Amino acid sequence: MELQIGIILAIMVVAYAVAKWKKLSVELSMLVSAVVGGVAGAFIKTPPVNTLARHLIEGSFTYLDVILVFTTATIFMAIVSESGGVNYVVRATIKYFYNLRIIALILLMFIILIPGALTGAGSVSLLVVGAPTALALGYLGIPKKKVAAILFIVAGLSAAAPPVNIWAMILCAGTAIPYVGFELPLGIPVLLLGIFTMLTLGWKKEGTMDKQKALEDMPEVPEKMTWWRVLLPFLVFFGLVIAYRIWPFDMPILGLPLQFVIAALVALLVSPKKINILVLSRDTVKRLLPLLATIAVVGSLQQIMTATGVRGLLSFTVISIPLLLLYISLIFIIPISEGVLTYGAAAILGIPLIWYFDSIGLHATVVIAGLTLLWPLGDGLPPTALIGRLSVMVSDYKDSYWSFLKSTWLPWIVITMVGILMVIYSAKLSFLVRWSM
Amino acid sequence: MSRTWTIKIILIIIFIAIMIQSGVQFYMHRHYQLEHLAGPGVTRVEKLSKYCKGLEGTMADTHVFWLEGKEEGGKMLMIANTHSNEPAALLTALIFLENAVIEKGTLIIIPQFNNSGSRGTRPGDGYPLYFEIPTEWGSKKFRMGNRDATPLEQWPDPDVYIHYPDKQLLSYLDIRNTNRTWPGRPNGALMEKVTFAAMEILRNEKVDLALDVHGAETMFPVTNCIVAPERSVRIATMATLVVKAREGFDNHVEPSPQGFRGLSHREIADFSDSLPFLLEAPIPFLDQPTGPKTEKLLLDGKDPFLLSLSKQQKLFVPYDETGWPMEKRVGQHCSVIQEIANQFSRKNAERAILIKNVPRYADVVTNGVGFYFHDPAKWTKDKIYLN
Repeated sequence: MELQIGIILAIMVVAYAVAKWKKLSVELSMLVSAVVGGVAGAFIKTPPVNTLARHLIEGSFTYLDVILVFTTATIFMAIVSESGGVNYVVRATIKYFYNLRIIALILLMFIILIPGALTGAGSVSLLVVGAPTALALGYLGIPKKKVAAILFIVAGLSAAAPPVNIWAMILCAGTAIPYVGFELPLGIPVLLLGIFTMLTLGWKKEGTMDKQKALEDMPEVPEKMTWWRVLLPFLVFFGLVIAYRIWPFDMPILGLPLQFVIAALVALLVSPKKINILVLSRDTVKRLLPLLATIAVVGSLQQIMTATGVRGLLSFTVISIPLLLLYISLIFIIPISEGVLTYGAAAILGIPLIWYFDSIGLHATVVIAGLTLLWPLGDGLPPTALIGRLSVMVSDYKDSYWSFLKSTWLPWIVITMVGILMVIYSAKLSFLVRWSM
Repeated sequence: MSRTWTIKIILIIIFIAIMIQSGVQFYMHRHYQLEHLAGPGVTRVEKLSKYCKGLEGTMADTHVFWLEGKEEGGKMLMIANTHSNEPAALLTALIFLENAVIEKGTLIIIPQFNNSGSRGTRPGDGYPLYFEIPTEWGSKKFRMGNRDATPLEQWPDPDVYIHYPDKQLLSYLDIRNTNRTWPGRPNGALMEKVTFAAMEILRNEKVDLALDVHGAETMFPVTNCIVAPERSVRIATMATLVVKAREGFDNHVEPSPQGFRGLSHREIADFSDSLPFLLEAPIPFLDQPTGPKTEKLLLDGKDPFLLSLSKQQKLFVPYDETGWPMEKRVGQHCSVIQEIANQFSRKNAERAILIKNVPRYADVVTNGVGFYFHDPAKWTKDKIYLN
């Protein structure tokens, strides 16, 4: 059986490579790989050929919620941007904080961290506050490449930050470990690493633009735009998120997509200029389509990998690595698994890893916290590169994707070291869990 | 027509064709009716919605079977398919339902507790839609379900699930997991209503023993065991010792964690007078490092990757070339359930629960699970309940 599964894996890799060579997009190449892998598996009835279509369709629903959040959040932000709200915020940031660089950088870091920390999705941070933050960073004299790098790393940290860390929640749900005690093991490294990232990538000012010139260069904002018009839609969105936290048993469960739709409607109502919502929504979805297609296809690929046994083979290979080598290989395995499977990686590799580490005396909660610092890094890696692509999109960086990714090297290495050390020394760091409870 | 448009139209036709084919398969799966044969011990059948009106008319509603003895005694509730992808529980419940005769006390069985979960699939995990158990009269076909209720019944999920009443934060998925929504509430999410209804049975009917039957991965430390809170530990320990001594299989006791909320054994202990037990039997199918997720793996539990991991001592149960077949898992559940009732009855003669005509471990291993299922074609029609 092992040989057969190995052959199917090789066929899937070759199919992906050929599709890319034929210049198909990432999402189509992944679909080709999934279909070819499924057909190869069907020769030995894993899966039976009459279930192949069902597996492809069923898999594409794996991340339906993520697709809905991406769509509604992007339309929300598109309305805010079209109404002039984004430019209004950026102008104000430059006006008041241009000469207080360190405060401006840390303030912007918190602005990126909060939406992701509350929702568990770095993508929400980027979709909601990514564009105005990118512009503000740009006017602070930071080149677009580094702006994209800052957004990518800090948005990733926001997803790992407490109170909501989806990787940790998936792992806790799968390993029957309570999702408690994560505040300090996650909060402290996220804040320190966030500040480190902002300072290393954003401290150096490039260019000679002064405050007055920056303000003159900025796009005009509609005359009637005011603070309350900008803030009200955000207050409604965060109000709904926080209200459920405060009154969980009285509030109806709206879900993030509906919360974004409500906030979008408010943004539309308070916009000082008339917006054609149908045209705006159509253009936004068109822009998002490659990303949405990637998320759908990742689910199909994941399902085919499971039905053929490829997923099990990969999981088995990781679990079988000797301990010392395993610690070292986590540096690569965790981000790459996220790049291929997104959140599925936490279930496929994370759950057996946690059980294994727990059985050799490591502290499971700290191990989970450490690993969840590494997973967001994989959101910059192909084939999916969800957060990386969003970072490039909202910061309007036009050069090659790899040059952006290379610029993240320093925070990437530091975050990796912190994550791995947290895993290795988890037992000694268990006091952080106790202090959190 | 340009070449591009021709390709697009062909792709659209292919897409529609596979959508229709898989859509029909999903519809058939969701609406496939499993026959529950009410055996000689069944005295009445109710719906769970009797105990929580909010369940009425929903896919979350399910049958509650009452097996009442001639002589009054204690009461035991058996819940199966809390997780519908752990089918040994359902098979065990159906063996009891079709065969058990109660001499004293009452046995209450809910064979498909998370009915919604049993009517959905698990996207991304590549499960088969059905599995079949061979019997002497053909084979009995079952839906393979999901761990959680389907979003068709309960949606949307919150961004984080806040457990009632402790306010502990849990994964957003767990709001559809009927082993995280205990003790439930009558006006909560649908799965909170399901667990609330079960709590109402326990409280109103003064049930003595509450058994939640499950399966767990071989790599999961809490497997092949009885999970019990403090006050159930003595009976659980006695049951494991007796089955080990008399029937030769291992089964240990795991304490119910104080700080982990929403679990049946934790919340039943804290919010009722019943003694809760959660039974886990190994299910290799659910382990991550396995070969293809086939019906065969589900039934025989044989996997080369797990065998190799066992040699590396990375599993929490003994594992060899024979795997962990369904007969072994169901047999263990049958014996452990009866032994828990025995141990309770020994110490509480007034409230004794005496169950007869249910096979033990060795019987199920020898005869197979299907041996204990009866032919619906030869069964009294008004004693067949579709679920």
